Amino acid sequence: MLLVKRIASLFPFLKFRIEETSMSPYLKPGDIVIILKSKNIENNNVVVFDRSGDYFVKRVKKVKDNKVFLEGDNKKESIDSRKFGWLDKKDIIGKIVYKF
Amino acid sequence: MKVFYKLISKVLPTYIAYAHCDIPCGIYDPHNAQMAAHTVLRMTSMLNELKPSKEEPDFDERKRIISQISRLTRVKEKHAELVEEELGTLENDYFKEEHFKKFPNLKSLIEEAVKFSIKARQNIDIDAAKKLLDTTMQVAEIFYKTKNLEPVRVASGYPTESEIVSHK
Repeated sequence: MLLVKRIASLFPFLKFRIEETSMSPYLKPGDIVIILKSKNIENNNVVVFDRSGDYFVKRVKKVKDNKVFLEGDNKKESIDSRKFGWLDKKDIIGKIVYKF
Repeated sequence: MKVFYKLISKVLPTYIAYAHCDIPCGIYDPHNAQMAAHTVLRMTSMLNELKPSKEEPDFDERKRIISQISRLTRVKEKHAELVEEELGTLENDYFKEEHFKKFPNLKSLIEEAVKFSIKARQNIDIDAAKKLLDTTMQVAEIFYKTKNLEPVRVASGYPTESEIVSHK
């Protein structure tokens, strides 16, 4: 399994299962998505980012220099850049390119 | 493209991406829980120290004592709840499965703290308040260990004259 993970890490893609509802209706708990590892981020991309070893998913609202402003689609439930401010681009793992 | 993504999804491991992210800044600290536990202990001591000036105090003094009891109890209640809330945040948002495996008493310490908090709220119980502080400090020690920091008990400087856990 470790070997499979090591080989998989060489791919430019990662697979994630979504937990929780703050990106609904676009993403619901249990949805599987493929992301492309990339720092080439544009407005409206849905990105996965890393904070303290956990992965989170949000939508890009604005890009400015090396920072991005993120929001959840379900604004009532989402805690995002409206609360924690702009995120460094380096913390972005990649953007969703396919949703099953 | 659909076939391509289906194919690669068969070989890729699945990671979890959280949509909610309560505290994505990753800032957690057991200090607030400890301060709240100190406050519970202090309020309990102050309630125990309340005494009338004579056996049958006059009405004004009765009013003053009742008002004081009410205020001290309210603060005791509020801070005991705060200990539970702060420990709950650490338990649910910070501590991971690997932490609970590495420190097998962590779960029971948090549960004990909640029990002592309830007891300290229900009664004027100095023993429960002291145990609440001690279990909270033990959780704080584990917290710092999970961050590879050496925990240390230092004088709090608070009127409780008890210690507080920090790190080197």
